[in-house]
Amino acid sequence: MSLYLKKNGYYLASLIFVILSISVYFIQARINEYKGLEHNIESFMMLPKGEYLKPIVLGYEQLAGDIIWLRTIQVVGTETVSPQGYDWVYHALDVVTTLDPRFAYAYQFGGVTLAVLGKRPELSNKLLEKGVKENPDVWQIPFYLGFNNFFYFQNYKLAAEFMAKASEIPGHPEYLPKLAARLYVQSGDPDVALEFLDRMYKETKDQKVKASIEIRIKEVIVERDIKILEAAVRKFKETYRSYPGKLTEMVSKGLIRNIPNEPFGGNYYINTDNGSVYSSTVKRRLKVYEKGN
Amino acid sequence: MKVLVIAINTFKEAVRDRIFYNLLFFALLLICSSILFATLTVGEQSKIIIDMGLASINIFGVFISIMLGIGLISKEIEKRTIYTIIAKPVHRYQFLIGKYIGLLVTVIVNTVIMGMGLYLVLMFNEFRWSHGIFNVNIDIWKAIYLMSIEFMVITAIAILFSTFSSSSTLSAIFAIATFIIGHLTEDIKLMGDKVAGRPLKVVINFLYYLLPNLDNFNVKGRVVYGLEVPLSYILIVTLYGLLYITCLLIIAGFIFQKRDFK
Repeated sequence: MSLYLKKNGYYLASLIFVILSISVYFIQARINEYKGLEHNIESFMMLPKGEYLKPIVLGYEQLAGDIIWLRTIQVVGTETVSPQGYDWVYHALDVVTTLDPRFAYAYQFGGVTLAVLGKRPELSNKLLEKGVKENPDVWQIPFYLGFNNFFYFQNYKLAAEFMAKASEIPGHPEYLPKLAARLYVQSGDPDVALEFLDRMYKETKDQKVKASIEIRIKEVIVERDIKILEAAVRKFKETYRSYPGKLTEMVSKGLIRNIPNEPFGGNYYINTDNGSVYSSTVKRRLKVYEKGN
Repeated sequence: MKVLVIAINTFKEAVRDRIFYNLLFFALLLICSSILFATLTVGEQSKIIIDMGLASINIFGVFISIMLGIGLISKEIEKRTIYTIIAKPVHRYQFLIGKYIGLLVTVIVNTVIMGMGLYLVLMFNEFRWSHGIFNVNIDIWKAIYLMSIEFMVITAIAILFSTFSSSSTLSAIFAIATFIIGHLTEDIKLMGDKVAGRPLKVVINFLYYLLPNLDNFNVKGRVVYGLEVPLSYILIVTLYGLLYITCLLIIAGFIFQKRDFK
C-alpha cells in the first residue's frame, strides 16, 4: 500500500511540476508584456551616473562600459525610439564614455545617431565635446562636431574651425583640409553642404543613419535646384518684365539647359505671382540656405 | 505538523549562526554609511542613500540566502544529524519543505531588519535637512518586498544545488553563478531576438524561460526615480516567484529522495 502511494506520489509530483513549469512560461510572457518595448529605453534612465558606477564596478570599467554599450546599440538598432527616448540613449552613452573615456567609437556613433536619427544636435554636441577632450587623436569626433555646427546651428565659422582641427589630426582623409578651407569661404553654399553630406555618408556605417543622410542629401539637392531655378527666373524677369508662366518657358528661351529632375520623384513649379519656385515633395525649405540668400 | 517543527528548528538554528549576524551587521553598517556618501553630494542625498541602501540589502540578502541555503543539507551530513532525522517517520520531502520554510522565515526577518535600517537612515536624513521625518519615499518597501521574493528564489536554488552537490563551496559557486545569470536573462532574450536561424532562436528562448528571471524582481530603479510600480505587476511577479520556487523544490525533492547518505 505504501509502495503504491509512493509511486503515485511521484507521478503526482511530476504532473504538478509539468503544470507549474508551463505556468511559469505563461507568467513570464505576461511579465514581458508589462515591461514592454519601452522598457529597454527606459532602463537607461535608471542607469546610475557613470561617476557612481565607476567605484562599484571594481576596476572592470571597460567591461561594464561594453555591456551598457551593447544594450544601447540594440535599442537604437531595432526600435523606433521616441524623441524622449533619445534622452536616455544620450544618458547611456554618457555612462559608457564615463566608464571608458577612450572608447572613441561610442562618441562617433552617439554623435551621428543623436543628431541625424534623434534630431537632438545639442545632445550630440555635448557628447562629442566630451569626446574631443578625451580623444584628441581621433579626427572623426571634431569632424562630426563640425557637421552639427554646420547643419543644425548654422555656425559656419565654428564648423570650419572644427574641420580645421580635424584636419590637423594624423590619419585624417585627404579631402578634409580642402573641405575646411571651403567652409571658411563659402559656408552658405549648397554645393559645400552636398560635399559635406557625401563625406558623412561615406564615413557612416549604420544603415539607418545612412538612409537618413540620403534623405538629407536629396533635400539639399532640391534646395540647390530651387536656387538655380530662381536665379533663372530673376533673369527672365529682367529680360521680359514678367515671370514665366511655366518653368519650361525658360528652357525654350535658352535661359537654362533643362529643368533638373526632382530627386524625390516630384516636380518643380513656379508661383507666377512672386516668381518663387517650389517642389511638389519638399514643403519646407531648409533653413540653412534661406539665411545664406 | 512535522514540517512546522522542522521549520521552527531550522529558524532557531539559523538565528544562532554567527555568519548570519556578521553579514547582517555589515549590511546595516553599509546602509548607515550611505549617510556619509550622501554628504559628499549636493542635493539628491536621499537618492544616494536609497541607491546604496537598496543595493546593500540586495547584495547581503543574496549572500545570506546562499549561505543559509547551501548549508541546509551539507551541515546535517557533516554533523551526522541527518541520520537521526531520516530514521524517524518523516518523509524526506517533509524535511526539505520544513527546512525551506525555516529559512524563508529567517530570510524575511533579516530583510525586514535591513529594510527598517534603511528606513530609519532615510528618516534621519530628512530630519537632518529639516524636512518632516515622514517625508520618506514609502515605495522603497515595494522594492524590498520584491527583493525578499528574489531571496526566496535564490534560497530555493541554493537548496536545489545542495541536494546533489557534496561540497557546500561548489553549491555556493553554482548559486552565485545562477544569481548572475538570472540578472542577465533579458540580454539572453535580446540575443535570441537578434540571432538568425530558427533552431538557435528556439534554444535561446527555451533557456530564457527556463532560467530564473531575477530581473523581474528588480524595481530599485523605478523606486529611486519615483516611478509607479503597479500593484498588478507586484502580484504577477510574486506569482512567478512562488511558481518558480515550487518547481525548484519539486526537483530538489526528487533528487533528495533518491540520494544515498553514506
